[in-house]
Amino acid sequence: MFEDDETLQMYIEESLDHLGDIESDLLTIEEAGADIDLDLVNNVFRAAHSIKGGAGFMGLTTIKELSHHLENVLGLVRTKELIPDSNRISVLLKGFDELENLLKNIETSNDQDVTVHITALEGITKASLPEERQGTVSEMVDIVLEDGRIFPQVSLFDMEQYKSEGKNLFLVEYDLINDIQRKDKNPIEVLNSLQKTGTIIDSRIDFDSVGLLSERSGPGRIPFQVLFASIIEYDMTDTLFDIDKKYIHAISDDMVRTASSSQSEVEPAAMPSKEQVAETTAPVTASAPEPVVVATPAPEVVVSKPVPVAKSISAKEKPKQQDKGVVISAKPQTSLRVNVGLLDTLMNLAGELVLSRNQLLQGINSSNSKATELSSQRIDMITSELQEAIMRTRMQPIANILNKFTRVVRDLSQQLGKQIDLVIEGKDVELDKTILESINDPLTHLIRNSVDHGIETPAERRQMGKGDTGKIILRAFHDAGQVNIVISDDGKGLDPDRLAESAVAKGLVTEQQVDEMTDKQKMEFILLPGFSTAKEVTDVSGRGVGMDVVVTNIEGLGGIIELDSTPGEGTDIQIKLPLTLAIIPSQITSVGKERYAVPQVNLNELLRIPANQVKEKIEKVGDAAVVRLRGELLPLLDLSEMLGIEKTYLDPGSDEDKSDRRTNMADRRSKQHLFDEDGNAIESSGNDEDQPSQREPEDRRYHASSAMNIAVVSAGAFKYGLVVDQLYDSEEIVVKPVGRHLKKCSAYAGATIMGDGKVALILDISNLAQMAKLSSVSDVGQVARMAEEEAAAAMDKAAMLTFKNGDSEYFAAPLNIVERIERIQTSTIEPIGDRKVVQYRGGALPLFELSQVSDFQRLEPKEQQEVIVFKVKDRELGLMVTPPVDALEVSLDVDESTLKQPAISGSMIINKHTTLLVDIFEMVKILNPQWFKEEAKVAAEMAESGEKILLFAEDSAFFRNQVKTFMEDDGFKVIEAEDGLIAWELLKERVDEIDLVVTDLEMPNMDGFELTKRIKSDSKYSHLQVIALTSLASEAHIEKGRKVGIDDYEIKLDREKLMKLIRHKLDLK
Amino acid sequence: MADSMIEGSSVDLEFSTFYVGGALCGINILNIQEINKHFEITKVPQASEYIEGILNLRGRIVTIIDLGKKLGLDPVTKGKDNRNIIVNSEDEHIGLLVDSISDVVIAKSDNIEPAPSNIGGVKGKFFQGVLKTEKKLIGILAIDEVLKD
Repeated sequence: MFEDDETLQMYIEESLDHLGDIESDLLTIEEAGADIDLDLVNNVFRAAHSIKGGAGFMGLTTIKELSHHLENVLGLVRTKELIPDSNRISVLLKGFDELENLLKNIETSNDQDVTVHITALEGITKASLPEERQGTVSEMVDIVLEDGRIFPQVSLFDMEQYKSEGKNLFLVEYDLINDIQRKDKNPIEVLNSLQKTGTIIDSRIDFDSVGLLSERSGPGRIPFQVLFASIIEYDMTDTLFDIDKKYIHAISDDMVRTASSSQSEVEPAAMPSKEQVAETTAPVTASAPEPVVVATPAPEVVVSKPVPVAKSISAKEKPKQQDKGVVISAKPQTSLRVNVGLLDTLMNLAGELVLSRNQLLQGINSSNSKATELSSQRIDMITSELQEAIMRTRMQPIANILNKFTRVVRDLSQQLGKQIDLVIEGKDVELDKTILESINDPLTHLIRNSVDHGIETPAERRQMGKGDTGKIILRAFHDAGQVNIVISDDGKGLDPDRLAESAVAKGLVTEQQVDEMTDKQKMEFILLPGFSTAKEVTDVSGRGVGMDVVVTNIEGLGGIIELDSTPGEGTDIQIKLPLTLAIIPSQITSVGKERYAVPQVNLNELLRIPANQVKEKIEKVGDAAVVRLRGELLPLLDLSEMLGIEKTYLDPGSDEDKSDRRTNMADRRSKQHLFDEDGNAIESSGNDEDQPSQREPEDRRYHASSAMNIAVVSAGAFKYGLVVDQLYDSEEIVVKPVGRHLKKCSAYAGATIMGDGKVALILDISNLAQMAKLSSVSDVGQVARMAEEEAAAAMDKAAMLTFKNGDSEYFAAPLNIVERIERIQTSTIEPIGDRKVVQYRGGALPLFELSQVSDFQRLEPKEQQEVIVFKVKDRELGLMVTPPVDALEVSLDVDESTLKQPAISGSMIINKHTTLLVDIFEMVKILNPQWFKEEAKVAAEMAESGEKILLFAEDSAFFRNQVKTFMEDDGFKVIEAEDGLIAWELLKERVDEIDLVVTDLEMPNMDGFELTKRIKSDSKYSHLQVIALTSLASEAHIEKGRKVGIDDYEIKLDREKLMKLIRHKLDLK
Repeated sequence: MADSMIEGSSVDLEFSTFYVGGALCGINILNIQEINKHFEITKVPQASEYIEGILNLRGRIVTIIDLGKKLGLDPVTKGKDNRNIIVNSEDEHIGLLVDSISDVVIAKSDNIEPAPSNIGGVKGKFFQGVLKTEKKLIGILAIDEVLKD
């Protein structure tokens, strides 16, 4: 085999380059079918051909053979003797695949068995030929030159083929030493230039003649023979080849001899294959060293080393061959093609840089501050430009990887019996080489998914009323400084409910969680680890480790992945990637004396908890500290604790960093034993006033600088707050790899050099989470849920309508008693006495405003007036309010006392505003007492005829009071219970008195379901009817309730309906 | 590598010698990239205990190893004589923090004797050999072994 690494490397690179385009070309050829695009076929043909040409020269016999057969088939396609149907293209594709494989493992290529491909290719060739020519396909002939030398083993078929095309055949003998080496040419270049004027059928180095010649004359020739077919006439050839005419032989028919007849004598002269070299080297070295010297090493060796050293060269020969694996395995991918223009720019910039440096030095030496300043500015500019230009050298068009998906889709869809068109858009988009290489696998996975799970079979598609052929669009584009890759298919889409079902079945989430999730959230289940919806594991889609790996990969690159799907219509998967990995924007933080960079892609927001709120905001769930952020529980990781660094704080007095001895994040003087600044334990009751001498009056722990700085970060399934000492600016940092000794410190993604020349470590957010054994979002969700349930037990949720009265007064009313919201023209309002009404739906709607019932602002008259229409006692009335009017769901954490006043049942905080809860009933009662005469009568009657007693279990004091008031207003007697357990105890004691049970569902200790179950399963109590009060009635809840025996449901705060129901249950009017 | 040279016929070798934890050690000068006194070292929490930290050496991140700790001797005492010996190993620059630098010693490769299994409490595997001069005994460090993590 050829030993010149450089030439070999060049050959491999070029060949792989050729192969790069072949796939898509072949697929296009396949698509075109009989309607052959000659240019394309020629392209592929030439590629196969160049590979073959080089392989002959390098002694890569297997590659040569394979490419030769590929070429044959392509030749027939070119002459339209063969129609490239799908099967044939498949064979070709496989052949080229194998070829690529061989090229990538060049050192073992000669030992590979490619007979499968060759037989398949030969089959195609033969089948398309007339009988009499079939034999030529595999027939090999030798060409005998005038001087008796032989060019062995040429395919007769080839020669015939070219002759039939009207081409002349030549055997051109270059001399590797004189014609190529001395002229500073490269054999590959020579072959390439020959390709432009004709076709190389075969090439070899005639080692056989080398020995003979060098014995005779001084400077030896190494004939490099090329069998060449061209339309050029023999007379013209010397100008073309630029060598002496005597080395150009026109091939005539009588020079051709069948190989079979001369096989035995020719064998030793023929190009020895690798094994043969190994066999023959040893014996020949001893007797005649010269031929062996040239037989294997590169031409350079021959020229530079005088003959006497030959022995030592051949001695070194062996180890070199063994080393070959190492030498060649330097993968071709490690080189990069760079636009020459770009290189020139770089050179220019380098020149500029040197110039500016000189100016700078001059300026400094002559203490000329003006010159120094100028040149430093220049250097600044040049550096930026240089940086950009160097970046550009790393940029590669995304087409390099997108193109191969055509093949992936084609093969897969054939395998799965689907019809799929792949449309690729935005091939010119450029991405950093490293990113490009790393997104290959994730993208392949996604495409495979689309083909396998996304697109339906033609039959299924017809049923859905879609065309037989599915469509996958692969689109790359720039957006906002990022590269976006979108994979959309028009397949069946993701079924959120099936995903949710599967997620529940796998225990990834609970049913309850699923209930409250949006479809989009459910779809994102497929990104979770260990999730695969494929009904059966197919060869195509892998083994259920899938999307999560994709997510991890993409995120490892600083990218994001997003899903969007409409069941039945298709799925869009969007990947956003940074342009480059080398420079990343990062948030600089510090812990202790060191700075740490948090990549911006991981950063969601920065959070600063003022010192005096730390205690309230930081909660403990189990052992873990959490912070409540917009209703969500966020686990906290203390970076100093994670890394084992001493915390510091900025001493407000001296402005110095001092070490912080707090051990607990929420520790704000809660300990009995405090330490003073010197670390001495001080007996303390935990009260500031006890230590006036040691402490400044304003304790540091309450000082502004003692605030807690949290970087809210997320990575993959993790989201958490990283507690750091200080937060600094966001900076663009250059990522530098760290040494091998630090590789096992998984907390860092690398290091960077800060402006002051010091090194800062870059944190690996995902690994930090794993180190802390932080559970992923789903688990955190669970933790959060548990905590929320705890909270919810104490706090009920309700849908409220919020509105304003005037500019500054905020109000809310239960949404369920609201009929409508109207906007009316003020001019249509008619004052009647001290009342206002408006003509409304054929009747008069009485209008009120809050200032009529209590001490609130009067509304300013406006052109239009917003009116909330309530229905009370089957009569409508309108409350005039100030917009915005908004409906939202809030946790009822009601303060009943502070702002209590007529028609206001309490106050709560909604969206940072103190909001008053309007008691519509009370309001109506104040305004229209006559409406309630009926009730008063009923209540009075009931009081006379014997009281009905209700057992009412409700944990929220607010609701308990509210509902109890309703009931008592209507003449019922109420026994209250704070939770189910208390209700149960009360029931046991007073079962004889109680007529009806009304219970809340979610309560601590014992919930409404359990209470009902006990009541209904005990014959002593089972006669009692149970009405459940709920704030949010979901189908699942109602079903669950029915199972345990709840008789009816009513929504909290819907007074009228509830009372009606109670009366109905008790057979009252 | 120095190894191959020691095996052959006698060749003059140069060793840069230095003190670490009281012991006098040497490194073949060909292995040394530079010797400096940059101590703007960034600590790397969670790293092995012998890692002093990382350093910016003209745009490269260099890991600094406390050679004393690495060899199992006393940690390097911080002082004005401290130096980082930057060596090149497996395409990477690594700094060895030593107590102080001593002379460059020229020796015949013949004079280097195989290392005993234990030199002053340091495992023999860390040494290529021992060089005896008139006054002192110099342990020649086997850099690759020392830098194994």
